[in-house]
Amino acid sequence: MANKITYREINQDIIGFMTNTGIWYYIVLGFMALGALALFFAPWAYQIYTGQGVTGLNVPIFWGVYLVNFVFWVGVAHAGTLISAMLFITKTPWRRSIARGAETMTFFALILVTLFIFIHMGRPWNFYWSFPYPNQRLLWTNFQSPLMFDVFAIGTYFTSSAIFLYFGMIPDLAALKHHTTGWRKWLYTTLSLGWRGTDRQWHVQGKATMFFSSFIMPLVVSVHSIVSWDFALSVVPGYSKTIFAPYFVTGALLSGFAGVVLMLTLLRWFFPFVRKYVTEYHYDSIGKMILLLSLVWSYCTIMEILTGLYANTSEEMESLKYKILTDPYMQLFALMMFSNTILPLVLMIKKVRITPVIMFFICIFVMVGMWLERYLIIPNALSRKFLPWMWYDYFPSWVELSITAGAFMFFIAMFMASIKIFPVFSLFELKEDAGIPMEKPHGEG
Amino acid sequence: MKRRDFLKYLGSGIVGTGVGLAFGKVTKPPGAKLIPYLIPPEDVIPGVATWYASLCTQCSAGCGILVKVMEGRAKKIEGNPLHPVNKGRLCARGNAALQALYNPDRIKGPMKRTGERGSGKYKEISWNEAVSILGRNLSELDKNGATEGLYVLTSTLRGHLNTLIREFMSSYGSPNYMQYELFQHRNLIYANRVSMGLDAIPHYDIANTRYLLSFGADFSSTWLSPVNLSHGYGEMRQGGARRRGVLVQVEPRLSLTGANADEWVPVRPGTEGVLALSIAHEIVAGGYYKGADASSWKELLSGFSPEHAARVTEVDAGRIHHIAKEFVKTRPSLAIGGDNLSAYRDGLSCLVAVNILNHLAGNIGRKGGVVPNPAGLLKGRTGTELRKDRITALAKSALEGDVKTLIVYNTNPVFTTPAGVKLERALRNVPFIASLSSFMDETTAMADLILPSHTSLEDWGDDFAEPSTGVRVATLMQPAVSPVFDTRGAGDIFISLAKALGGKVGERLNYKGFPEYLKESWRKIYANNKEVAAGALTFDGFWNRLLEHGGWWQTEEPRHKPRSVSVRRVKAHIPTSPSEFEGDEGRYPLYLVTYPHAGYLDGRGANLPWLQEMPDPMTAVVWGSWVEINPKTARKLGIKQGDLVTVESPYGGIDLPAFLYEGIRPDTVAVPIGQGHRLYGRYAEKRGVNPIEILPVAEDKRSGELALNSTRVRLERKGADGKLVKMGVRTEELGRGIVQTITPEEFERIAGKEEA
Amino acid sequence: MSKIVKKVKERLRDFRRPGYYKEFEYNWTMVIDLDKCNGCEACVVACHAENNLPIVGKDECSKSRAFNWIRIERYVEGEFPNVKVKFIPIMCQHCNSAPCELGCPVYATYHNQDGLNVQVYNRCVGTFTCATYCPYDVRRFNWFTYKWPEPLDQQLNPDVTVREMGVMEKCTFCIQRIRVAKDRAKDENRKVRDGEVVPACVQSCPTGALVFGDRNDPKSRVAKLAKSPRRFRLLEGLNTDPSVIYLKRVMKKSGSKKHGEHG
Ligand SMILES: Nc1nc2c(c(=O)[nH]1)N[C@H]1C(S)=C(S)[C@@H](COP(=O)(O)OP(=O)(O)OC[C@H]3O[C@@H](n4cnc5c(=O)[nH]c(N)nc54)[C@H](O)[C@@H]3O)O[C@H]1N2
Ligand SMILES: Nc1nc2c(c(=O)[nH]1)N[C@H]1C(S)=C(S)[C@@H](COP(=O)(O)OP(=O)(O)OC[C@H]3O[C@@H](n4cnc5c(=O)[nH]c(N)nc54)[C@H](O)[C@@H]3O)O[C@H]1N2
Ligand code: SF4
Ligand code: SF4
Ligand code: SF4
Ligand code: SF4
Ligand code: SF4
Ligand SMILES: [Mo]
Repeated sequence: MANKITYREINQDIIGFMTNTGIWYYIVLGFMALGALALFFAPWAYQIYTGQGVTGLNVPIFWGVYLVNFVFWVGVAHAGTLISAMLFITKTPWRRSIARGAETMTFFALILVTLFIFIHMGRPWNFYWSFPYPNQRLLWTNFQSPLMFDVFAIGTYFTSSAIFLYFGMIPDLAALKHHTTGWRKWLYTTLSLGWRGTDRQWHVQGKATMFFSSFIMPLVVSVHSIVSWDFALSVVPGYSKTIFAPYFVTGALLSGFAGVVLMLTLLRWFFPFVRKYVTEYHYDSIGKMILLLSLVWSYCTIMEILTGLYANTSEEMESLKYKILTDPYMQLFALMMFSNTILPLVLMIKKVRITPVIMFFICIFVMVGMWLERYLIIPNALSRKFLPWMWYDYFPSWVELSITAGAFMFFIAMFMASIKIFPVFSLFELKEDAGIPMEKPHGEG
Repeated sequence: MKRRDFLKYLGSGIVGTGVGLAFGKVTKPPGAKLIPYLIPPEDVIPGVATWYASLCTQCSAGCGILVKVMEGRAKKIEGNPLHPVNKGRLCARGNAALQALYNPDRIKGPMKRTGERGSGKYKEISWNEAVSILGRNLSELDKNGATEGLYVLTSTLRGHLNTLIREFMSSYGSPNYMQYELFQHRNLIYANRVSMGLDAIPHYDIANTRYLLSFGADFSSTWLSPVNLSHGYGEMRQGGARRRGVLVQVEPRLSLTGANADEWVPVRPGTEGVLALSIAHEIVAGGYYKGADASSWKELLSGFSPEHAARVTEVDAGRIHHIAKEFVKTRPSLAIGGDNLSAYRDGLSCLVAVNILNHLAGNIGRKGGVVPNPAGLLKGRTGTELRKDRITALAKSALEGDVKTLIVYNTNPVFTTPAGVKLERALRNVPFIASLSSFMDETTAMADLILPSHTSLEDWGDDFAEPSTGVRVATLMQPAVSPVFDTRGAGDIFISLAKALGGKVGERLNYKGFPEYLKESWRKIYANNKEVAAGALTFDGFWNRLLEHGGWWQTEEPRHKPRSVSVRRVKAHIPTSPSEFEGDEGRYPLYLVTYPHAGYLDGRGANLPWLQEMPDPMTAVVWGSWVEINPKTARKLGIKQGDLVTVESPYGGIDLPAFLYEGIRPDTVAVPIGQGHRLYGRYAEKRGVNPIEILPVAEDKRSGELALNSTRVRLERKGADGKLVKMGVRTEELGRGIVQTITPEEFERIAGKEEA
Repeated sequence: MSKIVKKVKERLRDFRRPGYYKEFEYNWTMVIDLDKCNGCEACVVACHAENNLPIVGKDECSKSRAFNWIRIERYVEGEFPNVKVKFIPIMCQHCNSAPCELGCPVYATYHNQDGLNVQVYNRCVGTFTCATYCPYDVRRFNWFTYKWPEPLDQQLNPDVTVREMGVMEKCTFCIQRIRVAKDRAKDENRKVRDGEVVPACVQSCPTGALVFGDRNDPKSRVAKLAKSPRRFRLLEGLNTDPSVIYLKRVMKKSGSKKHGEHG
């Protein structure tokens, strides 16, 4: 296998992919964009106009699918950070060709996270009241509220991921301006901020990446821990769990990695050149990661149930009974356990890990399972609170289901549009690896 | 008009003009509404509430109220704290009277029928025209010498509107003034008359009793004077240092009151009378009764041994004996018989049996027992009169063509009588019907002419509360707000009718209006009554105080004059066997019990949205009706909670959702009364069913009270979705200690330590 | 050193006091005697009338969206004929350590100087957190902007806001009545007297099961009743420190023998 990759080939592959777009790409992109408009934005506008009553929410299930989606997309956003930052610091070699794609996913997932907060709110037009800005009436926000923590955590995460993504892209943008004309040239020239590739610039860039990586890494742990405190800091049975922070972080990473696999596999299928850069070696590594995360996640899940059983209070038992032994949650719970615990066990087999199509389907299950995990916690726990007189069930309305589905289309549309404008693979980092056969791990692996 | 509204109108006027010009059409400026407040009413201070003392007419208890009025609008009703009936408290229905006043479905002015009878087609006319149409009709009758053909049907009226109508009718020349409503307590009044010689409803002193034996009296929600009796109940339970009273409830279906009882005796329907007499038997047999006539009581009650009664009533003989012992030994004790009891075919006899218990235990004329009221300031209707006022009699006269003209006020018999009475058909046979109702109900829809009357918050009136006062009480009703629509007071309508008729009637009722009649009548009471006049220098001063306080009442403790029940008097009236139920036992295996809904009462409250959305106190159902079935029975019939079932009696069937209820005997089902209106506004129409439709035409022969518990039924599951909507999903506490309790024994131990 | 530790501890305790108040000007308290309450629902309708609560209709009721700031829960034990029914009126418990207050990011629900858990409609952005955290499920949400068909709207109480879509609400202990009484008291240079503040539900309650007043005043009825040996608070184990005090119902243990039941 002597397929050594040259700089020229990298340039041709990536820039060619960005500038030559087939009509079918536009059709799919248009479909996704229209889908987002019809399924996501239109129902949301209807909801804002009519009121939150168009959802299936009720007393006392005030938190439903919107928050499920919120937590789910925070989870999806997690792999980007981990891959970019943690693996950078540990100098893990397989991160290079997938990091940019994962970071891009993070960015767009965080846009959805923010949108889902607004969608969830009863008066979204007043969203800015939750920022601590100086105002006439000297009103301050409540720093004790886990929701306030969220504002800061997600705000910080969003800002730093965006900067990180942009910062890492500057050398590529500078390279791109030499290979493009028209609006692209203008755009890349503007955005590359006069990058000329001097030693000093490279030196600063390297230092900065190291700095941001170290800065962002704790966010991987903190953001989803904080999101879990939205629940864990309440007294609600089924929410008030000490294990939630690590449990949520693990789950987030699990779904994040699964998301990355889905993204890479689709790119590989539709754009054959990608196969050069994303190889069995990458699948193997991510597969191991998913297996590890799945095991930790399963441990947390089982511990959560066991501590509930051990407590043996009526509140804990009824909330468990509702989740595990009641139609239709029993079936959903079984599906979740199959997807997140049983199925990933096959990743112990190397053959499975390096077969993209199998990985693809396993990851779809993991995504579904992780969505269900949040569903089985968020509305479910509220269905069985302290006073049985007020027990009630929840089923999402068409508006909620439509917005949930539309969010995926919106995500895909944004991603598809973005990778035609900004390189989905890091040119300069790939070039660092150029000349080395990509199929094989280099150095000590 | 508020400042903001003014600006809004100004703004919309300008915008409207602009838009109008743009479309080539100029809209009418809405500023006209500004004029009326240029000279503001004297008693209006924006933002400051004025309180008017008045009377609640949502049921016949006669509670005193205070109406909070701001900027000419009624905002809130509260109990009048000085009033002896409700002592400042108010029930749910009393609160909701505001929604009768501001109901969007009120009739907005006089109307004349244009379409078929019952078609609901009317045309608006003026009051002058309306009064002259009715006046001409009555003159016609007079000319033809058929004044007896005029019938007037009203609800139970006790105040001066009643005397006004009586005077109108007697001077016009018709004896046919009738009062009818569903829960009129005819049996109770008549039973008191035949057993104690008391032609009235006395005061049941629950507050001071220590053993309350209630036979189906749901005083917590609807019986007699719910606020007064509930207040008494609170006092009986935790009224300070006194010992806590015990409540024993005897009824086949656990009512709200029963749910609060210390003991529930789920007697077989229709055998309560036998049970009461069996308790009486034990009192006499145990030698607790010390009267000289003990032996004749013994003889009278000889057939009611507990062993015999146990077979009939399905109440354990030992339990009967125990209740009897507790009832006579706990001092003071009190037995009451409620709507459930009086709703049997021989309801009157059952209530006589309850009076016997009170007599034998010495509870009559005692504090904490039965306290007869002193003579009223105004002679109200009597049991004898009531006996005559039967709706069946009216239907019969109408069918025979005797009723030439009918005037209906404040009662809806078409809704509250069984189909078998054929009232609707009878009414079609009446040449001319006028309704004074403010709402388009089933009876008003039969009218040729509608003269809509005020609601109680717009009208003048008075009331002399009868049940549960123990003292003389007069309550004044005064308008709290000016009329919302083009309506008139019922009294005013009769007076203007008298004017239109002229002659004897016109002379007799020569008043400017009902307020003048009312004031003049009170002048007479003031003049003839030293006690009433006491402390007031002039009548005007007295009248002002009357308006300020909301009425006049004695403030001293009720006087307790003992009364007795004699064997001779009750001999012919005691229940000897269980009450009869129609329907073959094999084909119709279940007893049907009907009861007034806590919010809708006899159906009159069903158009008030607060009451529709108020969860039923027992089932928590909202916006509908239901049939209560014991889960065992339901299981046998394959019926689940919320299923649609058909309840079928020999007289017809109704479909309604099932409510599985442990508080009902397996051989009994229960349906609340109040829903199932065909007409009555957006909130009431086509909602739930009316169980009265499937009842037989059964009356207590002596009193004329309609027997609501008089048929058996069968059930059949019809489908899965009965559209039952209830609050509260689970009713198990799951050991979470939500409603914490202590046992009576523990309470005895700590009782002294209670403070306040 | 220990002095500093003590001081820090004190500061922390201050910080954890509800609303950071050292003490409340008044300590409004509701005592509910479960032995008196007969479940009649008068309080529920009175609260509707006083506080401009909307009527939502059958469909919305079936979705568990009925508006009640106070509700009567019913718990049933046993089978025919040994059935026991228990009633408990539940409104906002005005917790002095309120989970809802912790959750609200914008201080739309907070503790005021009288120890009340107050709700500022204007400030609420509708995150539902307070309602999710409230263990007593007493909070209600304006799913829509509710309408009153004319002329029903003429009844609306001008002393109480009509809330718009997207806003959370709950029992206020009829704060508008408290404020009138405090205002009057201030004009007359005195404290509010016992019995001067009567919330709508208390006013209506036929049995006298509800008593309201200031627990800071040792001579008030609530202060005395609050010492009753029958006292308990709802879900007391959650340490929410409610201002609603219940008095236990006197009732035979279910399953215990009835009077006179032999054998
Ligand atoms: N001492 C003193 N005098 C002042 C002022 C002050 O601060 N102190 N302020 C000054 C100022 S700024 C102003 S604007 C004026 C205000 O002075 P005015 O305009 O006299 O205002 P009010 O006395 O508040 O209300 C006038 C009347 O309007 C009636 N009203 C209320 N609602 C309506 C309605 O819907 N329609 C109609 N037709 N009438 C209605 C009320 O019953 C009241 O009698 O006072 C000025 N005078
Ligand atoms: N409850 C109620 N509310 C009302 C009204 C009502 O009748 N009742 N009326 C409404 C109407 S019509 C009006 S116009 C508004 C008025 O509302 P505001 O404008 O708030 O009227 P005031 O309270 O009279 O005056 C405001 C402040 O100005 C101060 N002040 C006085 N003179 C001066 C000065 O020379 N310079 C400065 N800088 N300050 C000064 C006063 O001490 C006072 O604190 O209120 C409206 N709101
Ligand atoms: S008991 Fe009757 S009179 Fe008294 S408040 Fe209730 S409805 Fe009105
Ligand atoms: S009862 Fe609920 S809403 Fe009221 S203060 Fe407590 S936690 Fe907050
Ligand atoms: S719903 Fe309103 S009051 Fe409740 S937490 Fe959110 S912003 Fe605060
Ligand atoms: S205190 Fe006021 S707001 Fe609270 S339940 Fe009672 S009436 Fe409603
Ligand atoms: S009004 Fe009083 S007695 Fe009736 S349910 Fe409410 S608290 Fe209980
Ligand atoms: Mo003004």
